[in-house]
Amino acid sequence: MDKLASLLHTTPAIAWMVLKVVIVFAGVMSLAAIFTWVERRGSAMIQDRIGPNRAALFGKIRIIGLAQILADGIKMFFKEDLIPAAANRGLFFLAPFLAFVPALLGFAVIPFGKSFVSGGTTYHLSVLDPGNGMGMLYPLAIGGMAVYGVLVAAWSSNNKWSILGGMRSSAAMVSYEIGMSLAVVSIFMTAGGYDPAEIIKAQGHQPWTWNIVRQPLGFIVFFTCMFAETNRLPFDFAEGESEIVAGFNTEFGSMKYSLMALAEYSHMMTASALIATLYFGGWQVPFVKDPSVLLSVACFVVKLVFFAWVFVWIRWTVPRFRYDQLMKLGWKRMLPLSMVNLVFHAWRMSQGH
Amino acid sequence: MGVVVKKAELSWLDRTYVWPVLKGMAITFDHFIKQLFTPTSKRYTIQYPEMKKEMPDGYRGLHELKRFEDGAIKCVACFMCQEACPARCISIEAEEFSDLNITQGFEEKRPAQFKIDMLRCIYCGMCEEACPKDAIWLRKDYELAAYDRLSMQFGKWDLMNTYAEADGKDRISQDPTPSVPRRTIVM
Ligand code: SF4
Ligand code: SF4
Repeated sequence: MDKLASLLHTTPAIAWMVLKVVIVFAGVMSLAAIFTWVERRGSAMIQDRIGPNRAALFGKIRIIGLAQILADGIKMFFKEDLIPAAANRGLFFLAPFLAFVPALLGFAVIPFGKSFVSGGTTYHLSVLDPGNGMGMLYPLAIGGMAVYGVLVAAWSSNNKWSILGGMRSSAAMVSYEIGMSLAVVSIFMTAGGYDPAEIIKAQGHQPWTWNIVRQPLGFIVFFTCMFAETNRLPFDFAEGESEIVAGFNTEFGSMKYSLMALAEYSHMMTASALIATLYFGGWQVPFVKDPSVLLSVACFVVKLVFFAWVFVWIRWTVPRFRYDQLMKLGWKRMLPLSMVNLVFHAWRMSQGH
Repeated sequence: MGVVVKKAELSWLDRTYVWPVLKGMAITFDHFIKQLFTPTSKRYTIQYPEMKKEMPDGYRGLHELKRFEDGAIKCVACFMCQEACPARCISIEAEEFSDLNITQGFEEKRPAQFKIDMLRCIYCGMCEEACPKDAIWLRKDYELAAYDRLSMQFGKWDLMNTYAEADGKDRISQDPTPSVPRRTIVM
């Protein structure tokens, strides 16, 4: 690290920071891009189809269709970038970024590996070091920001379908945010802090001490709310071909659309990182008390990819909810359930002391 | 009179919604795994350029003009197919020829030109039905595409050779016997 820093004429702290930012965001973005392909291939397999397997590098190297990502990117890049005449131009340009940036930013506090000590300094494997005072509140707050991307996109394109989609999505977001937050609060309570590092440490390395076993109800609520949060099926109310065309991104084309699509997948990555951290012990390797740094990173990535795959898997299993069912589920099921969860754990803690 | 539709009674377990979702996920995962481990050739999807669908008998694809063993065309230029064709895409020009083996010196008719406009053809098979000599068949080739319109105008020799490769026959581009020059009637 010191050598790298002297090469770049910076202090080791800054070099390490830059390195982490690049690795995390490049990693998450490329995983998100790969998952656009995984989604299509996976859905095809689930439906007994084959899916995109033809795209090939230089017309020869097929690598099971992975080149499709590149092909899609190139195609999107060369498409005409249309802006509707009556659109709010400024916001229309801003919307894809508003959707994309919060989706990625939530990842910043998640520890993706075990901290290690080298040359007297401790290196933490998360973009923001633990003890930054924001902890797990930060991804939740940033996650709440994500609805602005959808809403601004809907509003600026000056299209009634878009606005309907944006309104529905923000309504869903509001009703699910509460249940989700309450579920997380009960984790904060039992862990005794809201820093992800503390939460992970409190869960230990045995799978049966992870929060999934301690708070299954909270997990179900949180997991369901994450689907609503990322706007994916069965709660994809921002779009809907049969009722509001493509919803909030009806008017978006070219790179703007692909940024929107990538935002959805990045959001999915962040959501699975949150699930892994909060309920599945983060980077803890099951049954290994003191894992090496690389092993812990690998374990985190495996968990991340697995939950992202579960997102895809559920999307192609469960049919869509009706809008009123969604609202009913959010307010009448999820909120009381997370409340019960919270009260139950509060009661147990009071008994324990 | 209305029909009373009985709603399915959901059990307590079903109404939690979590259990049925897990069951559904098991089903989709089963499909996923099965698809993953099925070799490409055994899947439902036919990977087109590498794999081709075997067309059923009676399929009406590209035409073939049939020939005798010696390469003489079976068609006698009776114009029945041209008349029967609902798309009016066959146009025939007849000529006379004589062949000592087949026609014993008598003069016979055969097409000098036999054109089918494949862009207009609707593959209805009426020509096949109408032909008294079984000289025109609609067979199983369905890969009919070209980059320009002219290549979709099939002439006599194109039609006689459409299935030459598939049947392992030689391509022919000449009638075995010369045609008889048209006699001009002198008054
Ligand atoms: S198949 Fe039908 S349309 Fe085509 S040439 Fe024969 S009669 Fe005409
Ligand atoms: S009906 Fe048969 S024999 Fe008569 S012109 Fe057509 S192809 Fe030839």
